[in-house]
Amino acid sequence: MELLLTNLAHGFGVALSLQNLSFALLGALIGTAIGVLPGIGPVATISLLLPITFGLPATTAIIMLAGIFYGAQYGGSTTAILLNLPGEVSSVVTTLEGYKMARNGRAGAALATAALGSFFAGTVATVLVAASGPLLTQVALSFGPADYFSLMLLGLIIACVLAQGSVIKAIGMVVLGVALGLVGTDVQTGQQRFTFGIPELSDGIGFVPIAMGMFGIAEIILNLERPEARSVLKTKVGQLWLTKEEFKRATPSVLRGTVVGSLLGILPGGGASLAAFGSYMMERKISRGRHLFGQGAIEGVAGPEAANNAAAQTSFIPLLTLGIPSNAVMALMVGALIIQGIQPGPRMVEAQPDLFWGLIASMWIGNLMLLVINLPMIGMWVKLLQVPYKFLYPSILVFCCIGVYSLNNNVFDVYMTVLFTVFGYMCNKLKLEPAPLLIGFVLGPMMEEHLRRAMLLSRGDPMVFLQRPISATMLGIASVALLLMLLPNIRKKKDEAMAG
Amino acid sequence: MSLAISRRGLVSSAAVLAGGTLAGNARAQVWPTQPIRLIVPFAPGGTTDLIARLVATPLQERLGQPIIVENRPGAGATVGSLMAAQAAPDGHTLLLSNIASHGISPTLYGNLRYDAVRDFTHIALLTLNPSVFVANPRSGIATMADFARFHRDSPRGLDMASSGAGSSNHMLIVRMGQILGREINHIPFRGAGPAMTAVIGGQVPLMSDSLPSAASHIRQGSVRAVAMSSAERHPSFPDVPTLREQGYDLVTNSWFGLSGPARMPAPVVERLSTEVLVILRSPEIRARYAEFGGTAGDMSPAQYAEFVAREVAMWAPLVRESGAQPD
Amino acid sequence: MKLNINTKDVVSGAFLILVALAGLYLNQDHSLGTARRMGPGYMPMMVFWLLAGLGALTVLGGLFSGPDPLEKWTGVDVGSLAAAVAAGVIVWKISPQFSGFFGTTYNAVGIGILAGMVVLSFSAGWRFLGLVCAAVAMFGLMLEKFGFFAALTGTILISVLAEPGHRSRPLGVLGLLVFLLALCWWVFIRELDIRVNLWPQL
Repeated sequence: MELLLTNLAHGFGVALSLQNLSFALLGALIGTAIGVLPGIGPVATISLLLPITFGLPATTAIIMLAGIFYGAQYGGSTTAILLNLPGEVSSVVTTLEGYKMARNGRAGAALATAALGSFFAGTVATVLVAASGPLLTQVALSFGPADYFSLMLLGLIIACVLAQGSVIKAIGMVVLGVALGLVGTDVQTGQQRFTFGIPELSDGIGFVPIAMGMFGIAEIILNLERPEARSVLKTKVGQLWLTKEEFKRATPSVLRGTVVGSLLGILPGGGASLAAFGSYMMERKISRGRHLFGQGAIEGVAGPEAANNAAAQTSFIPLLTLGIPSNAVMALMVGALIIQGIQPGPRMVEAQPDLFWGLIASMWIGNLMLLVINLPMIGMWVKLLQVPYKFLYPSILVFCCIGVYSLNNNVFDVYMTVLFTVFGYMCNKLKLEPAPLLIGFVLGPMMEEHLRRAMLLSRGDPMVFLQRPISATMLGIASVALLLMLLPNIRKKKDEAMAG
Repeated sequence: MSLAISRRGLVSSAAVLAGGTLAGNARAQVWPTQPIRLIVPFAPGGTTDLIARLVATPLQERLGQPIIVENRPGAGATVGSLMAAQAAPDGHTLLLSNIASHGISPTLYGNLRYDAVRDFTHIALLTLNPSVFVANPRSGIATMADFARFHRDSPRGLDMASSGAGSSNHMLIVRMGQILGREINHIPFRGAGPAMTAVIGGQVPLMSDSLPSAASHIRQGSVRAVAMSSAERHPSFPDVPTLREQGYDLVTNSWFGLSGPARMPAPVVERLSTEVLVILRSPEIRARYAEFGGTAGDMSPAQYAEFVAREVAMWAPLVRESGAQPD
Repeated sequence: MKLNINTKDVVSGAFLILVALAGLYLNQDHSLGTARRMGPGYMPMMVFWLLAGLGALTVLGGLFSGPDPLEKWTGVDVGSLAAAVAAGVIVWKISPQFSGFFGTTYNAVGIGILAGMVVLSFSAGWRFLGLVCAAVAMFGLMLEKFGFFAALTGTILISVLAEPGHRSRPLGVLGLLVFLLALCWWVFIRELDIRVNLWPQL
């Protein structure tokens, strides 16, 4: 413990140098900006900035890149809440309750909850990384393909809880999402599936065109169709800050979200993408405000935002302790380190204590900065909603267009966005919900990969899923969840049938 | 003209000024007249990307024009390669050619829209990297003899991970299975990182990996190096014996080079080749490539073109054997 | 049980079944493999059968859980939808014969979508969908050839048609246009330096 404090003190010594502090701030600002802009993600930005980092000391470079990474997480929730525009899978969950809160005139409260919840979760997770990183790595390493498969299956089943209407239709949308995720190159054989010979599809359909079309742009069309609904958006702004009651409701959700997110973030095989909606599911089942879900429940913003940010911090663990990046942003950071002549890995703690502890300290400082940057901006963001919609919607539209194009510098993505706009519009009219589809789309490919790998390793014996304790536990939880979900439906049907 | 270009124009005019003071090299005023686009057909941050950026930095200083690295990943590195093949052969678009795009994909993808030899001007081999077989330290496999014994005696045979189907490491696993007379259970992953995690965690006992991505894990002792696929022992890893030393006549390297579209003007190719060779012979770049586990190349454009043709021919039968088929 | 049709659910279910059947048809190209070494077709097969089953359940459930009718389609709506699809496909197919421009990249697809969406927007029911999609398609069509500013102008001008408030106020539109062009230039070109042509490439 004492050693930890000494090390942390050393880390803060490094991180608090004027140069590192200013680059952390710069990173956080850039991150927030690109997070707010639809389509432009941290991966694109970091790869653009990579050459600049060559001229910086390694610690400074990595501190700035990390700042961009979590800055983007913060910024992403802002557009999700204000404009129903999720930039990545975790903010899909934030749109569900956050955008509803904004429509109820509680945009300020939703943004404040997101910022405070994220900060708290980030603090806890940073301490966790510092204190027990190596230990947690062992947990991550004990997850085999079978365990990941069961985890993903559990994730898909609980994704149906995101549904606000019929459970069967929600499961249908999850499966449809998995089907969309099949498009592209098969990892195991390299074969092209459902690509119709279009080279742009060989790496799969992009997440952003789907999310932007089905959420952001479809929402514009629906708002244009219902002029009465959007007048609510601009007239009622309400109190900016959280009320006491809201604060009390959000606190336990943040705590639970932090735990869920920290644990899932450790798993490099896709755990972090489960964090936000794992927490959403939990809040929807056990929080005090569960009856308000679907109408803008603050718990549904607080929990997932905390979980998401906690996972963002703990997903650094595999990078720091094994030298293995758990997502594309981290892969870029490894690249930056290697160019600097540093090999990330278990030896980094001893070989580069400045870098290791400085990064950990700057994680916390970065989170604090984001809080300081973001809280005062809430007023400005909310003002944005007061811009008359007739001026707002063309702006959102052009930002979406440029953002989508800049993903791959390819107009193909722009046309994909049109396709998914039409599809999203149709889904809205048919009461098919897009959120479960997106979750299925993200988790499906990972699930297939882990399933096939597990079967390869077990020589085709499906019992492996029950023999491994972690996997068996997940499957157990999954079947209970499925039963709980279907039972009320069946009972309701029965009652109806008897009454009818 | 776009503003982005006009700003790049500013940069380039500054560079021309600088170049003018350097030497009265007549060619420098002819080419390069604008920034050079270096297409890397892999995602940023990976081995290929790093190799490209390591050479791009000194090269742009020598050429007096900025080199903009453009990552165009996808479909076994063929998306970016096709783009380069179709670009204007004026020397302002270059490609980081490599074993995936120009060694294996020509056989792997039956419907490939470029010819790895005819549609490119091959300029220089940048670096050669051996593959290395690594094992989980608790697996009990330390030598190729252990490897062969475990594979023979285990009722299920050995599992071996790779960074993906159709990669050169996958081919090596296929070839090793052929030599041992029993198929090795190949477990493909989405990239070297996840595969390495599985080996460190003991989910899969063995992996065939390129030395650059495995080097740090070998140094840290989180995995054990069993054999190297190079002809001789690697200077950075003198303790790791080669496959050949252990009785398996199998020598392969993954490679990375610099190419451009077909029919590039000869003076441009010559200039590029000269400059790149100077860079490749510098101690700094040799040291950096050695850290990665590679050796810097030293080939003329003609030699590199011949090398690429040889590689395509060499991999073809193995790729067909491997059962990997993208279409 | 009494028949009480929920049109939305029935249509949704039918849609899911349709996708599943198309998927199963396309999946015939992929080998199934064995349980040990699953082929590329194994997972799609399971997914599409599951999807078909869920679609069937949705249709069945929808027969009794109604009524929840779709919004009324007028004759004009149906007509313009059919005309839009026809216009889109025809333009997509024949445009490359008129100009080499449509023969490159996805420009034929773009002009096809644009034409279809413009036709679609003639009916009141589809107006907003048609105009917004047309605006996005316009961006894709114009960006690489005509440059950043022209593409944005096209997109903004089409998108403002969707708002009646703009039609009588051309000055407001002009202001919006200038403001957005400046803002987008500042954010995307100056600050983020995305690589596009700003002006037409003739």
